[in-house]
Amino acid sequence: MTCGEFEHILPEYIEGSHSPEQQAHLMSCAACSDLLTDLNLISSQALLLRESDEPSPRVWNSIEAQLRREGLIHAPAVSRPSWHESLVRFRNPWLVPVAAAMVIVAGIKLYHPAPAGDRDATKRTPAPVVAKVAPEDTVIRKAVASRPLAQRAAYEADLDRANAYIHDLELTVRNDPSDVYNQQLLINAYEQKQVLYDLAVDRGMGEQ
Amino acid sequence: MSAGKCAAGAVLVVVLAGVALAAGPMRKDLHYKVGKHSMVSLNNQFGAIRVKAGAPHQVAVTAILHSGKVEVDESRSGNRINLVSHVLPGSDEAGATVEYEMTVPPDASLTLHSGNGLIHVENIHGDLMMEGNNAPIEVVECGDGHIHIRTLDGKVSLTNVHNGHIEIGSMGGDVVLSGVDGPFVKVNSNSGKIQYDGDFADSGIYDFSSYTGNIEALAPPTASIDVLARSNNGLVQSDFSLEPKHTPFAAKVGSAFAGTLGKAASSVNLFSFSGKIHLKKRQN
Repeated sequence: MTCGEFEHILPEYIEGSHSPEQQAHLMSCAACSDLLTDLNLISSQALLLRESDEPSPRVWNSIEAQLRREGLIHAPAVSRPSWHESLVRFRNPWLVPVAAAMVIVAGIKLYHPAPAGDRDATKRTPAPVVAKVAPEDTVIRKAVASRPLAQRAAYEADLDRANAYIHDLELTVRNDPSDVYNQQLLINAYEQKQVLYDLAVDRGMGEQ
Repeated sequence: MSAGKCAAGAVLVVVLAGVALAAGPMRKDLHYKVGKHSMVSLNNQFGAIRVKAGAPHQVAVTAILHSGKVEVDESRSGNRINLVSHVLPGSDEAGATVEYEMTVPPDASLTLHSGNGLIHVENIHGDLMMEGNNAPIEVVECGDGHIHIRTLDGKVSLTNVHNGHIEIGSMGGDVVLSGVDGPFVKVNSNSGKIQYDGDFADSGIYDFSSYTGNIEALAPPTASIDVLARSNNGLVQSDFSLEPKHTPFAAKVGSAFAGTLGKAASSVNLFSFSGKIHLKKRQN
């Protein structure tokens, strides 16, 4: 059994359906074992919220809107009760904390912020995959292609860092366009890429 | 021994001596007379560049070429001198290395590029533009002009630089500023650390920012500053008890702070995406 297969059956596993094959994978795979431990911990903590007040429909609506924006759910093709109406109708007392736990786990698995003060962050968590390679990235890579291996590797790492910076700041600015300080950081990120470009193509200071 | 053998031996000695000379370092000295505010530009891919202040109106260059596979191309136009290490085909890094030592007038302006060798500049008060890939860059006892530095992964250190208009861009190289002040001091780093130890004097704007690199600023208890500090994902701390001020963002404990100290003469902006920020108090 692979980790992907195990993650696929994780909900059933949590509900108590265990096969020998799944048990064997869990024994041999530290990553899946850790994931399960985290999930159980979050679930147990979230259960403490069972007695809390019922969230208002506005809360469910805003969660739905957020998930739609991120493409995690889509509008139904035919008219039917919204997902949260279904959830409200069918939920059990344990459903809210489990749903919250699943959202948190998905968030943990999908989001990898650069750790504080970690200069090697981009080595372990490379810049998110960008569907389209920017033209300037191609120019930079071509310009350094014939240079010594170590120098080429350094440029690649720096390019990843510059792109990660731009990517993170673009997301941040998109979330809060009124924040001028993050806008300035985004400009700084672009300046860094400009420096990288200039040095790669050997364009000195003052040259245009 | 026959005369023929003697001649062959002599030829061999001459050839070997020639090869030895060609393979070893060669020294080249250049001298120029210049006027006020001269400009010297040097582009050196491999090897150190050291520049110091010398006599007024004189530029003296000593270049140590590590092989015959690299030349020093020079050109001059009025008060402007251009030097380039010209690497010939077939040379490796060791063979292409040239070490430069220069003395220039104290009011000279410099444009220096180094691939991986040290750049060291001392006691120059003209404009300084320096860039390098991995080259460490050191600026000591300079100022009064523009200082622009761009590096990928080389460490940058400025020591006792006053009244400068300073802009430093670094990807992975740490930036260390010690005794630095001026009307404008900006450091833009990606993963490199930024360390400042100075007075934030001159009623200047001090703008330090990073992506993941930590920012540490050490100031005296008597500093006169107006500070904004925020890290989107990193810890933010201050040793000072600042007078609170209004900010356009929420000054959450541990992730942002804003306030003034003394007469708030200088503006200090410390911003990072995920690096830690610490404004430290210097113990006198």
